[in-house]
Amino acid sequence: MHADLNEWSARLAALPEFEPPVDGWQAVNAARRRREAGESRRWPIALAAAVLAAVAGLAWQLQSTQRVLVATDSPVAAVFADDSVRAQNAKLEAMLAALPEARVMRGSTAFTVSQLEDRLAFVDDRLSRITLEPNAPEHAERLWRERVELMNSLVQVRYADVASPL
Amino acid sequence: MSRIADVLIPESVANAARHGDARALEAVYLATSAPLYTLLRRLVRRPAIAEELLQETFVDVLEHIGAFEGRCPLPAWIRSIAINRALMYLRSPWHRSLEWLDADPGRLEELRSASPVAARSSEPALDRALMRLPALTRAVVWLHDVEGYTHAEIGTALGRTPSYSKTQLARAHARLRDLLTDAGTLKGGAACTPT
Repeated sequence: MHADLNEWSARLAALPEFEPPVDGWQAVNAARRRREAGESRRWPIALAAAVLAAVAGLAWQLQSTQRVLVATDSPVAAVFADDSVRAQNAKLEAMLAALPEARVMRGSTAFTVSQLEDRLAFVDDRLSRITLEPNAPEHAERLWRERVELMNSLVQVRYADVASPL
Repeated sequence: MSRIADVLIPESVANAARHGDARALEAVYLATSAPLYTLLRRLVRRPAIAEELLQETFVDVLEHIGAFEGRCPLPAWIRSIAINRALMYLRSPWHRSLEWLDADPGRLEELRSASPVAARSSEPALDRALMRLPALTRAVVWLHDVEGYTHAEIGTALGRTPSYSKTQLARAHARLRDLLTDAGTLKGGAACTPT
């Protein structure tokens, strides 16, 4: 068994190296300038998106008569038992994937879904870089919790949309 | 082929890089970019994506080098950033939407031939077989067999259990054996089945 593993390791490690792109360092510096320029524009947008998502979510919660139905009857409630944050996230992802594709959506619902998805993308981007930051485990935990809350909202919005007649 | 973890960066250069010295950072890039790019090409298949991930990795390095505390060698720290970036990409909807293209054997050949590496390979059949594995399975194989990750580390990186990593690795080795046997049979030569 170990001999087998060692042989695979030796053979794979012996495969030739790929040559990185020419002028790669210049490309890295150019990419850094683009990122810095993008971030200076993106922060206000991300903040506005977060505020809009919060407002839209609140409005949706107040207006939707499906809210109580979702909270009590949907499978979402069962997710938050003793699971770790990542396990909760995986279950919510599975639930979302299992929901039927959206038919025509109400405008307000489509807007809320769009805002939640934007916010999820933002959190995912932060998670992809979190290992580089000081106190990474604590930050990651907080981001994963935020992701679960966003996923929970998204599943509830989509579930209510699927369950309600247009 | 050199692994990133085998790259030696003098302490003086690593320290200068930590303090943002541009020449030291460039030296770190020059020392690590080839093995890092190789790792990314093995994980993501597509040259353009691998190049972008390489860039993004080093942009992360430039932005966060001050947070590097020296608890592991600098190349290993950079490698963990690259792997994290690549795995995020492999899990993304964007990557999944491109999977059908890569599933086409003709397209795979096209991607492989984009680099002269295939021609230089002492084991072109193994090179081809590896690239035919599903992305996450290939990641498990490369991280374990070449980069020396443990199953526990791979499980954590993929958000799965160590058992998932072990199972994927065993299946991948079996699949590689099958593909190599097929390649040997098709060419009429001896099968390259590992013992």
